[in-house]
Amino acid sequence: MYVALLANRYLTSRIIPWIAVAAVALCVALVVIVVSVMSGFLDMLRTSGKTMMGDVVIRYPISGIPYYEDLLDDLEALPEVAAATPTIDTFGLIEMPYGTGDGNNLVEQVQVWGIDPQSFNRVSEYEDILWWRTPSAKEAESLPADDLRLDPSRDRTEAAMLMKDPGTGEPGIVLGMHISVFNERRGDGTYGFQGGNPNYWMPGKQVELTLVPIKGGKISIEPESRAFSIVNEFQSGVFEIDDKRVLISLKQAQQMLRLGSGTLYDQNGKLDPETGMPLVIGKSPARATAIFLRANESYTPDQVRIAASKAYDQFWTESTARKERTVDPPSPFVVSVMTWEQQLASIIAPVQKERELMRILFSIVYIVCAGLVLSIFWAIVYEKTRDIGILRAIGASRPGILGIFLIYGLVIGLLGSMVGVGLGWLVVTNINAIHDALGEPAPMWMTISAFSLAALLFGFSIHAAVKGSILRWLLGLIGFMIIGVVGAGLAVHQGFLLWDPSVYYFNEVPSKMDWFTALLTMGGAVLFSVIGAAIPAARAADTDPVKALRYE
Amino acid sequence: MNDRTPNTETPILEGEDLRKTYRLGRVKVPVLHGASVSIKQGEWVAILGASGSGKSTLLHLLAGLDKPDIDSGDIRYRGSKVELQNGGETNHYRNRTIGFVFQFYHLLPELDVLENGMLANLVPRGRKSGLLILVMALIGAVIGAWLGLLAAGDWGLLPLEERTSVRSIVLSGACAVIGSGTMIVLIQMVQAVILRTRMRSGEAADVARSTLGDFGLDQRYRHRPRELSGGERQRVAIARALGSDPDLLLADEPTGNLDEQTGTEILELLKKKHEQGLTIVMVTHDPKVASYANRVVRLKNGRVVADSEQNSVVGEMPSPDEGHETLG
Repeated sequence: MYVALLANRYLTSRIIPWIAVAAVALCVALVVIVVSVMSGFLDMLRTSGKTMMGDVVIRYPISGIPYYEDLLDDLEALPEVAAATPTIDTFGLIEMPYGTGDGNNLVEQVQVWGIDPQSFNRVSEYEDILWWRTPSAKEAESLPADDLRLDPSRDRTEAAMLMKDPGTGEPGIVLGMHISVFNERRGDGTYGFQGGNPNYWMPGKQVELTLVPIKGGKISIEPESRAFSIVNEFQSGVFEIDDKRVLISLKQAQQMLRLGSGTLYDQNGKLDPETGMPLVIGKSPARATAIFLRANESYTPDQVRIAASKAYDQFWTESTARKERTVDPPSPFVVSVMTWEQQLASIIAPVQKERELMRILFSIVYIVCAGLVLSIFWAIVYEKTRDIGILRAIGASRPGILGIFLIYGLVIGLLGSMVGVGLGWLVVTNINAIHDALGEPAPMWMTISAFSLAALLFGFSIHAAVKGSILRWLLGLIGFMIIGVVGAGLAVHQGFLLWDPSVYYFNEVPSKMDWFTALLTMGGAVLFSVIGAAIPAARAADTDPVKALRYE
Repeated sequence: MNDRTPNTETPILEGEDLRKTYRLGRVKVPVLHGASVSIKQGEWVAILGASGSGKSTLLHLLAGLDKPDIDSGDIRYRGSKVELQNGGETNHYRNRTIGFVFQFYHLLPELDVLENGMLANLVPRGRKSGLLILVMALIGAVIGAWLGLLAAGDWGLLPLEERTSVRSIVLSGACAVIGSGTMIVLIQMVQAVILRTRMRSGEAADVARSTLGDFGLDQRYRHRPRELSGGERQRVAIARALGSDPDLLLADEPTGNLDEQTGTEILELLKKKHEQGLTIVMVTHDPKVASYANRVVRLKNGRVVADSEQNSVVGEMPSPDEGHETLG
């Protein structure tokens, strides 16, 4: 009982333990924030793949995979695969519907995906990432009142699903949200138009897309240009994608790249004796350069990759055995079957390594906790030697004395780590708001408050000097200098960009709490605080009562 | 309540041929050279001697606070050897058999008067308290580990492919530490609440209140030691020593740090308690103080030189050369 009483009194009757709690809390918060942002970044990299590409991609670029429809059937029959969709990816040039000021329209280089919207939506989150769609009631609650998506007449979901302009019937194109220079990202994550001018609303405007067909590894000399009507825009959250990618229908992409189905003529100049035209020797199949797969819920992407790889081997074997087919699919040796994570290995692996390195480096935090608690407790045990003697003299056991200081250390570790995790959680979940606030000039009230507080501290310091207290004078002066510098910093602060989306891939700072690291750090901080307390506590328990009582 | 029927025949506490040598670096300083003393039930014995004569050392040995040399004789409490007790028995002896009063009061500054007064009663008598904490810590660790595994798996804290990996075991271990720590702190909080209740209406608090009330401190329960005078502090120290209803009160110069009038008040208080049957062993260098005792044991150079009934030594001040070192 006396253990609880004394541990409580020692904790509440002095300021040093609270400084230790604050130090442990700051250390834990630091680890939680840094590792959470890194884990969040990795997580966003992983999920961004699912958003646009599903879990696994079968890819054979340039000339594509013929008879892909059969392959799709085989893949969708696999228990590991929930859905599959064919795509074509290539690069192109897009002429935007606005000028550069020199009389010409702006032309940008883009990555073009030809998709089948219906099946693409089953594999990716296509419909969810479309910007011009009516938000759900829950989403609408968090949107600002001036958000154009709240106007149902601006919903272009259907047009995007058909890839066709609802008015003119022209082929449709969906642009990444950052392609139009007039789309301005606001602090709350929504978009507005530059200058607030609604004429900059892209849907309905025309663009011209130019693709260069490539055949047999050689560039065709005739680029293909077609006019498209913008039917929607999308935001995947990955800056690189939103800034560079456009989506058109698979059929349009196949036609423009000469990858659609067509008649196959004899290449040796033989003529059809009846018509006198080049001899038709068969039909050329349509092709897709990539097939995206979505895993069934109970399967990992790696399991799907293995199953898809086997399915492709089977498809190739069967296809090459069919003599009526004029072309063979590419050999399994040249077709890549990769998970999204494998495709991003060059980006993910270094970040993963850095995160592990951070975790190891930050394990120094545990040593800081242990050292901090040890030094504080050493001083406390030194100071409390006589009290320990008294307790021993009235019959307190050695484990009892040990318990006072161990529990004391435990409370510091537990309280500090809880506060630290709480603080870390607050920062991580509000990191984008903090980032946006840092990106803008400091509000005037904050600057004035800082200067007022600095003036008050200066007055306190002068008063203390007059009264002859050196400690108060010094504390006041240090406070005045710190708050004064903060005030000056706020006054000159014009906002700066910490998280540059063009560097870090994503539009937002990752704000997902890494609870694994948080709990690990918490457990470590508690354990090492107790270890730190154990040595002074053991010293206290070993104290000889007579020597302790003689101690002054 | 201990049996305090005076028994002038059988000693309750005996020290026979006690030797004690301290080491100051490489120098051996012998303090006691075979001192013998026996205390009978209901006696008030004064151990009188000059500074350095070994009287405090003798008292510490009798109180079980220190151990005599290996070649020393025995200390026996009701016939059993005190120095052969194990740790738990020694603690029990210090806590329940002996009440010790120090010259410099030695109150705990963080506790108030009432808490200091009942401190001896707050020390647990067995190992149940420690065992309870260990069991609860273990339960906390098991619950924490289980929650950690749940978090790693069902709650999706770890990705699907890492759920059976070392990571989930590490997470479970961290949660076990947190769970165990939380449980220990919770137990301490519950104990603090129980303590508060006991301080309002418990038996220990009633005993402490009664003793402190007898000593005229009933208006000072919530005061900290620094807010008390020297005499008041010593009265709290005596109340603390009597809190666990000990067989013997051992007092080391109880008036040595007080002015004459306050010292007299303290001695009158002890006299009252002695009249109620309390056995007292008091160390002093002052014959006037010793005159309150009904027996005086005179110590010189670590040896008992006289052991006589009341009044036989009153007025004889020990000469300065009776002590030979500063210890004791």
